[in-house]
Amino acid sequence: MSEHEHHESHGSTYFKVFCTLCVFTAISVVADIVHLPSKFLLGAIVLAVAVAKALCVMAYFMHLKFERAWKYLLLVPTTIIALAIPISLRPDIGASYYVQDIPQLHDYPEHEASVAHQGGHH
Amino acid sequence: MTHAVAAPTLKMGIPITNAKLGMWLFLGTEIMFFTAFIGTYIVMRMGSLGWPTDTNVTHINILFGGVNTFVLIVSSYFVVVSHDCLLQHQYAKAWRFMLYTLLLGCLFLGIKSLEYAGKFQHDILPGHIPENNRQAMDKVVNQFGKLVDRRLQADAVIAAAKNREEAPKTRELQKAALDARIAALTEKKEKGLTPEEVKQLNDATALSKLSAEYVSLKEHVRSNLSLKVDYAKFDDIRKEDNPSSKYDPVSLEEVNGKVEELLKDKDLGPLASGLSPAHPILYGNLFASNYFLMTGFHAIHVIIGLYMFLMVLMKGHRLNISDATLVENIGLYWHFVDLVWIFLFPLLYII
Repeated sequence: MSEHEHHESHGSTYFKVFCTLCVFTAISVVADIVHLPSKFLLGAIVLAVAVAKALCVMAYFMHLKFERAWKYLLLVPTTIIALAIPISLRPDIGASYYVQDIPQLHDYPEHEASVAHQGGHH
Repeated sequence: MTHAVAAPTLKMGIPITNAKLGMWLFLGTEIMFFTAFIGTYIVMRMGSLGWPTDTNVTHINILFGGVNTFVLIVSSYFVVVSHDCLLQHQYAKAWRFMLYTLLLGCLFLGIKSLEYAGKFQHDILPGHIPENNRQAMDKVVNQFGKLVDRRLQADAVIAAAKNREEAPKTRELQKAALDARIAALTEKKEKGLTPEEVKQLNDATALSKLSAEYVSLKEHVRSNLSLKVDYAKFDDIRKEDNPSSKYDPVSLEEVNGKVEELLKDKDLGPLASGLSPAHPILYGNLFASNYFLMTGFHAIHVIIGLYMFLMVLMKGHRLNISDATLVENIGLYWHFVDLVWIFLFPLLYII
């Protein structure tokens, strides 16, 4: 392990990354609290923040920024196969082309109406 | 046995140690494992005509989620600090930061278990959630039936113990014994009862009333049954099981109102405790399955991580530079656990 003998400390870099991660977490929480006009916008913001945080952790904490090209050899195929599952499920489950008959919906609207009538409290 | 030649830590091909390559390959499979869960969750949610997002309904606590996110980020930071210290030969400091990480992991699990306790308390469990009025009424009736069974059983056991008899086993026999006791005590009432007997009579009467309330509620709810199969097609046994009800159909509001009324009742309230009104949650079961699957597997990963931290901590003073690869690999694993949570937090708690 002689290559570690004169290792330079990354302490300050790690601390900066840590602070960035905290700021990102705060952004997600604030985005939820301020009640943005659209749910879609909220989803886009928090997922973008999650991706940014993930990249920070992978690049610095997991040292991927400093690793050589083998990281692509390992991570690209896994990512492709991982994405294959949701993509292959989507056509039938995520977005069906037929009209679904959903048993639990049968008298649910009735409940919604009565809840609204009571002033929407459970 | 031949003498094994120690494998060089560095070899041709990928320029990392075998241990690190192994960890990265493992993390590759882990990426696929968690993407399957997260991906199916997204797909199922897209394919559902609704989703429980109201935190009053799902009992999802954004504060718990947010604090846990912060806890994992801090612990991730402490792992890299620990590894960095190890490379700087500051072994005591490395050990200390490893300990902090372990404690933060425990804190994460503590908060998680509080959250799970809330879910169990409100019965937000896969397969337990009514999704429409019909199911909600059935849930109340089932819950009520089990409660009455428990009360009758307890009562029968106590009464039988007093008389040194064997307690009746079936619900019908227990109810018959209860009625017999009430009749006997009522008859004796004219001659005067001891204070203890007065209490016995009151308790027995209350239990009998509760049982009657249950039977009445069950009959009312059952009259709502809309059998789609032609009645004539059922065989005779089935007909006896499901005689047509003599009651008018009731609504969920009336059933829940009845539950509230029982809970507030002076005599029946204590006996009815444990009963609660039911409210339908559309797609609640799918939500609960996804929630527990994802957070459960994540929690298992956290527990395994804690075990590995403990393994390093057990080395105590012997922790030195030769453990750098071990600590680095454990760190990689822990960062991955953090990564999964980074995605679970917005997906489950915010969106």
